[in-house]
Amino acid sequence: MATQNEGGGKDEIKTQFMTREGIYKLMTLSEYSRPTRGAFNGQGNTPVKVSFITLNDQSGTGDRICFNIGKELYFYVYKGVRKAADLTKPIDKRVYKGTFPTCHDFNQLTATTDSVMLLVGFTAGQVQLIDPIKKELSKLYNEERLIDRSKVTCIKWIPGSPNQFLVSHVSGQMYVYNEELPCGTTSPHYQLFKQGDGFSVHTCKTKSTRNPLYRWLVGEGSINEFAFSPCTKYVATVSQDGFMRVFDYNSMELAGMMKSYFGGLLCVCWSPDSKYIVTGGEDDLVTVWSLNERRVVCRGQGHKSWVNVVAFDRYTTSVCDNEMLDFSGSDDDFNHMPHANTGLLHEALRTSTRSNTSRGSSKSIDSKGVNMITSYRFGSVGQDTMLCLWDLTEDILRMPVGRHRTSTVVSQNACGVSPKSNNSVPSQNCVTNMTLDNAVPHHSSSSSGVTTSLTQKFATFTLGDRKEKDHDRKEHKRNFSLGSKNNDKVIRTIDDSLRLLGTPSCPRLDDVLLLEPLVCKKVAHERLTALVFHEDCMVAACQEGYVYTWARPGKVGLAQQHTVTTPPQTLPCQPPALGSTAL
Amino acid sequence: MGANASQLEKEIGSDQFPANEHYFGLVNFGNTCYCNSVLQALFFCKPFREKVLQYKQQQKNQKRETLLTCLADLFHSIATQKKKVGTVAPKKFIQRLRKENELFDNYMQQDAHEFLNYLLNTVADLLQAEKQVKTRASTNGTVKPEPTWVHDIFQGTLTNETRCLNCETVSSKDEDFLDLSVDVEQNTSISHCLRGFSSTETLSSEYKYYCEVCCSKQEAQKRMRVKKLPNLLALHLKRFKYMEQLNRHTKLSYRVVFPLELRLFNKSDDACNPDRMYDLTAVVVHCGNGPNRGHYISIVKSHRFWLLFDDDIVDKMEASSIEEFFGLTSDVQKNSESGYILFYQSRE
Repeated sequence: MATQNEGGGKDEIKTQFMTREGIYKLMTLSEYSRPTRGAFNGQGNTPVKVSFITLNDQSGTGDRICFNIGKELYFYVYKGVRKAADLTKPIDKRVYKGTFPTCHDFNQLTATTDSVMLLVGFTAGQVQLIDPIKKELSKLYNEERLIDRSKVTCIKWIPGSPNQFLVSHVSGQMYVYNEELPCGTTSPHYQLFKQGDGFSVHTCKTKSTRNPLYRWLVGEGSINEFAFSPCTKYVATVSQDGFMRVFDYNSMELAGMMKSYFGGLLCVCWSPDSKYIVTGGEDDLVTVWSLNERRVVCRGQGHKSWVNVVAFDRYTTSVCDNEMLDFSGSDDDFNHMPHANTGLLHEALRTSTRSNTSRGSSKSIDSKGVNMITSYRFGSVGQDTMLCLWDLTEDILRMPVGRHRTSTVVSQNACGVSPKSNNSVPSQNCVTNMTLDNAVPHHSSSSSGVTTSLTQKFATFTLGDRKEKDHDRKEHKRNFSLGSKNNDKVIRTIDDSLRLLGTPSCPRLDDVLLLEPLVCKKVAHERLTALVFHEDCMVAACQEGYVYTWARPGKVGLAQQHTVTTPPQTLPCQPPALGSTAL
Repeated sequence: MGANASQLEKEIGSDQFPANEHYFGLVNFGNTCYCNSVLQALFFCKPFREKVLQYKQQQKNQKRETLLTCLADLFHSIATQKKKVGTVAPKKFIQRLRKENELFDNYMQQDAHEFLNYLLNTVADLLQAEKQVKTRASTNGTVKPEPTWVHDIFQGTLTNETRCLNCETVSSKDEDFLDLSVDVEQNTSISHCLRGFSSTETLSSEYKYYCEVCCSKQEAQKRMRVKKLPNLLALHLKRFKYMEQLNRHTKLSYRVVFPLELRLFNKSDDACNPDRMYDLTAVVVHCGNGPNRGHYISIVKSHRFWLLFDDDIVDKMEASSIEEFFGLTSDVQKNSESGYILFYQSRE
């Protein structure tokens, strides 16, 4: 209901909006950009990304912001909602030639008031390590582009590591570097270290250790973004092939995967308790996936174009102290599933749900301790210049697959696959695939608290299926690759994505809930490229080179309240949305 | 020319060059890029090319020259070239086109979408006429026109649902289409434009709807959704808008993104193949600032490559460069190179 047009002001840029917790206000004086505001054409440039670091500064202004605009990189004191931004005094500013910064990340572990380690990735594939405070440090990795020649899409320090970082590229590869090691003067030679469905990991074949320590090959096409889980155990990647893949970072096992409804996936974010992943992509949707259940929980439709960034708002989550939530209902729910005609699928779903919702595995890993999150808030920004906020409530999370379907769709499904035979997704395939999806992650998740007996039961149950499935896949491969040998890899992916439709990894549109956003506002003239939540504000950046700060309800800084004259008439605030689910 | 051709071959690499594939530019006969761009896009729409070449095989002794025979000859001449790359002159085809339709009988820049429409309908009519000649000989009498391979490839069905707001009765009517023309908005995706195409419209005041149940004019809600998804989905972006104050058409260079992979959201509840997955195979791109000015080029996917056809010039391009043809986000510039007709091939 919140997405309906607001009369004629549809294309107006919003400077404030209301949610159920109150009014968010744009802090016009807290806008960060390049110091000299000339006409800047964002067209054809790399997206503006924003990184933050909080230093233990006695003065209380410990926040620092880093953002890239075109060929430039800026490092400022971030004053947030408290004080106006002073753009005349960047702590550091760098201008690059020939290669542009694309992304950056601070090392939270090693940061002190007078030294930070900032990693920067570039369009031509290089990586730089700088210290924008001390300014002495400057190390280059992949300088000669011997490791990878394609654009860096995402760069992150490995959680808890003072010196290792992960870099993803358009080439579909990720590399693990150690900042202390050299990159060598020759192209690295690799040897296979680990392999799995749709990915492989290689190590560098040299006598002396050098960078990269590992090379990950993931899916087809660009790895657009990756994110470590807050619990640090997993890393999730999203690729141009439309797949989100979750890996156990240390064991390098595939822990789960999901396919977009269509098109590439562009962004990924973990819930603060590491239980859910939200992605955004070229299907204009946000998709929520549950790690415990290995299934798509719901999708969200609100954007008018591709979704560039998704971010959980850990400060706007509802927490309940009572851990003794009643899960007994879930089995009954599944008994009424319209999938009942496919017995095996039904059984598999039941088994996985039962084991995964058992209290042991669903304990919150939230930093706050024992509390359990019952409602999540996340935001998304896209190429449509819109900001959407979404609420993920308990009733949505616990809703079983297919629950909300309209009767026509149910009957269509119940009468078998015949009406959908054009999709070439025979039910047999759905079932076998389903079990594989559950089987792979299950082994790795056994360490996260699932009782052993269940693991074993499940393992034996799936073993037979997996053989059959492998057999199946080989046959597929053989059938498809007859024509041309070198297309083998691509065809398999294509085949996969068709096969996945109707499974928990890629449900049909009617199979899962389609959420509506709580709030959906046009907040910029240009594509939005970054979104970060802070305790007292929300920060978004757009392609034009502006970084906007929105004060949370009641957090408008005193200094600004006097100076900023927020047009009082700006908008007829909407009543707080009562619910955000579209049924 | 020769330098460019061999350059392309080098770029692709002789071991990578797809067998039995030919990348030939088309000579421009004076503002015929609207035609060249559409022909290239169609040539790389696999089912269409196959049917046209098949037609050529079947019609070896065809005496009468038609637009279809000219098209078949052109496709055949490209497909049977000894060289892998080069140029051909679609002279006969252009001559025939100019002869058959006075609209195209000049040296003005034409609308590529209009040409596509004309070509598909003409080919379909010719095929139907040929079929009827055969059937009339045996059955004698008027026969309902049978669907041709043009319909098999391009035709989908829309269902037009109207709900009377007085009696709540829903009536629906089906219409076939060969392509969909969608309105464009700034900073949106093709999916959004398609959803806009199917959004609910309220018929009121002077546009009231005559309800058969109420036997009177009533307010009603209307929407058009896709009931049968075509094998090859052709999407026309309505980038040329008539501006009354200017008394002419102006170009909307809006940035409309289109993914390489597409499914539809705007299908009816009873759609027979609602989850069809489409792959982008070709895009006709309009360059410049007006419908009767500027230039048309096309980008096509062939095997694993993306190629850019600009009349007689053919270049290999990266899939990541497709974003250059999404359009512009600023309204100041109008001179864009933006996707105009998108061809999505069903993945089956």
